[in-house]
Amino acid sequence: MLTPMSRLVRLGSRQGTGVDAVLTTTFASDDIVALRDALRGALGTVWQELPSTVETTWRERWEPLAELGLPGFCVPEARGGFGLRVDAAVTAAMELGAALHPSPFAGLTASAHALAEAAEAAGSSGDPVVGGLLDDIAAGARICAFGRLGPDGRTARLVDGGPDADALLLLDRTRDELLLLAGPGDWSGEPSRHGFDITRTCADVTVTAGRGQRIAAPVHADALYELLLAADAIGGTQRALDHTVAYTGQRQAFGRPIGGFQAVQHRLADHAVRVRGMALLVHEAARQFDAEPRSQEQALAQAQRVRRAVALASLSVSSGAGHILHDLLQLTGAIGFTWEYGLHLYQRRVHQDARLAANPRAAARSLADTEGWTDAH
Amino acid sequence: MRTDLEEYRARVRAFIAEHGVPMRGEGVRVPADADEERAIRRWLRALYEAGFLGAGWPVQWGGRADHLPQHDLVLMEELIRGDVYRPLDQVMLASHAIIEFGSDEQKAQLLPRIRGGEHVWCQLFSEPDVGSDLASLRTRAEPDGAGAGDGDGDGDGFTVTGQKIWSTDAQWADMGMLLARTDPSVNRHAGITAFVIPMDLPGIEIRPIREMTGYAEFCEVFLDGVRLGPEHVLGEVNGGWKVVTSGLASERAFVGANSLQLERMFDDLVALARAARLPDGTAALEHEDTQATLAEALARVEEVKLIVRDTVERILIDDEHPSDGPVAKLAYTETNVALTEIAMGIITSSVAIDEAGAAVADRWYHNFLWGRALTISGGASEIMRGLIGRQLLGLPRA
Ligand SMILES: Cc1cc2nc3c(=O)[nH]c(=O)nc-3n(C[C@H](O)[C@H](O)[C@H](O)COP(=O)(O)OP(=O)(O)OC[C@H]3O[C@@H](n4cnc5c(N)ncnc54)[C@H](O)[C@@H]3O)c2cc1C
Repeated sequence: MLTPMSRLVRLGSRQGTGVDAVLTTTFASDDIVALRDALRGALGTVWQELPSTVETTWRERWEPLAELGLPGFCVPEARGGFGLRVDAAVTAAMELGAALHPSPFAGLTASAHALAEAAEAAGSSGDPVVGGLLDDIAAGARICAFGRLGPDGRTARLVDGGPDADALLLLDRTRDELLLLAGPGDWSGEPSRHGFDITRTCADVTVTAGRGQRIAAPVHADALYELLLAADAIGGTQRALDHTVAYTGQRQAFGRPIGGFQAVQHRLADHAVRVRGMALLVHEAARQFDAEPRSQEQALAQAQRVRRAVALASLSVSSGAGHILHDLLQLTGAIGFTWEYGLHLYQRRVHQDARLAANPRAAARSLADTEGWTDAH
Repeated sequence: MRTDLEEYRARVRAFIAEHGVPMRGEGVRVPADADEERAIRRWLRALYEAGFLGAGWPVQWGGRADHLPQHDLVLMEELIRGDVYRPLDQVMLASHAIIEFGSDEQKAQLLPRIRGGEHVWCQLFSEPDVGSDLASLRTRAEPDGAGAGDGDGDGDGFTVTGQKIWSTDAQWADMGMLLARTDPSVNRHAGITAFVIPMDLPGIEIRPIREMTGYAEFCEVFLDGVRLGPEHVLGEVNGGWKVVTSGLASERAFVGANSLQLERMFDDLVALARAARLPDGTAALEHEDTQATLAEALARVEEVKLIVRDTVERILIDDEHPSDGPVAKLAYTETNVALTEIAMGIITSSVAIDEAGAAVADRWYHNFLWGRALTISGGASEIMRGLIGRQLLGLPRA
């Protein structure tokens, strides 16, 4: 019998090889490897060559990616998705990050998950707005972005993909609810302050008074969002590191490759160890989602485990990736300092990945909580 | 499999509770007195007799047919958890070198004595002028040459002259694994021979050196005209480099226990932050900045635990990459140092440590200093980075 994921295995067209396989060396199942290869094919990723421009017409090419199942990794099978395959979502986020893809994939995946959970809960009497949006998301026809409602209940800062999205799902943490904005004129966006990461769009959003509908927030939506942002950052960091390693192995100075100087080589070795550790944390966090809780108690314990694992991964990546990229810029010299070379695009993007989740601080606070340090008095 | 391992763990635990000899501190292994020495040797023998140590050896030499590498990991974890004396790596390395390169007579003579707790081993590699670049070692083992000697007719012995240093356990070791130059005329890797020598041979003088931790664990070893016979050669004459670099199939899964070690260190860090009183009377742990520092440290610890777990998984399926060992060592030892530095920062920021945390603070002072042993010995961090650069990243030799 075909599981939904085996569709992906058949889609896999290239062999899973490359430096990145050595750099992270974690065990991936066949379907994950196939997914990665299929995505590289679809995205046109040539791992060793960094993209130097940002795709501006990604929406026109989104449908084939949606056909690969991209929006549905965390959508129940009954709704046409793959269940809760966070490992697949993480793999996709890493590839999209590595490709500097402009889609708000983290938010889209979290949104699709939340909408599908809401539709499941409502059963056949479900809301046609939610159902229709879900279908369109699955088909690649509509994009739903994700954000967090501020304390005023009206504005959401830093909504990734906000300027171009067809719908928004805003988390209201004070009420454990999501506000769905799916109609024209439901919100207005102000993108002008968010131009540092030029690989994606971002806006501060204001909800039009009286608009939107509220749905219950499923436990994992926010954690999923945060984890996929970390995955995006580590995917890009890995590729930038691979690229820099290759560059330093070729670029000559003082009669030898600069990668033969210890001051260069040792830093790259440290970065490789760190990147492996970060990637493993991200994969490990994905694994924590997968267990199907059988009781209320188990569900609570699992939510706690997920929260902790996601915080560890996010903290590690958000505090480490930017630093590593900044050093890679140093190690590539003036060529790396150019716009054209494109390393800076990764620096900009991992910065934004951290900021979208208010990290590293949010993750550190979250850990302080899960570890019980905040009641130390 | 899982339940078998849990059952194994339970047996190890019970055994440790009954026979274990407590450890005095990280890296402290030289017995304080004759009583402790007797207890340690008895304990090591008991571990071999019970089939917990040396279980991976060939069955002929006391190994067990049902041994799994996972058992080694479980054993080491429980030894750490129980705070008891751990097997000496020099002894384990010597065992595997003998199993791999020893003659039948050497095996028959030496292996049972290791199992009996009768032979403690030390390593005589480093010299005053030779550390990281071990292949440039100078201690000479001069072959007698054909027909030479004092009339016993064989003439194929050696006379050893030179100095070794940093030899851990040499002051109480019965045997030493010695590297010496037997042929200075050939390329430096080709002229080295490994020897297995009794430490009480005439001409050997041992002087313990006091370490910065206050303990005297390693020694200077002077070799002055020490006579060795062919029976002391391990492997082939001039084949010593192969003996030290063959990546001896030791208890490789032991590396997995580093995870537990770091976890315990981290618990100690939280305990310290709880007990450290700031000038205003609050505990360090109450403050957001301390919590943030701890959170970062925890993320690092979890990174290393996963790196180690990944390494062990590959060891278990015999699919290691040559850089896995260096990656795991560098990640573990440097993160360990980072934790000790955080601990020192917590202590210096405090004016007092609560009574409940006094022992923890003392442990941190010791571990702060001891942390450097891990980043220097067994290949300094810089050597590890070079190995990673070449073997993992494919960069040219620096
Ligand atoms: C606690 C402890 C126990 C030990 N036990 C034993 C033992 O039982 N038997 C034994 O034979 N030896 C033992 N040693 C010695 C150990 O093997 C050496 O200390 C180690 O190989 C480094 O050699 P060295 O100390 O001479 O440092 P050196 O080789 O002088 O190096 C000093 C420092 O220079 C740097 N460095 C060296 N080479 C390079 C390079 N290629 N690139 C960049 N940087 C470099 C590193 O930072 C290194 O720490 C022990 C050492 C310690 C600390």
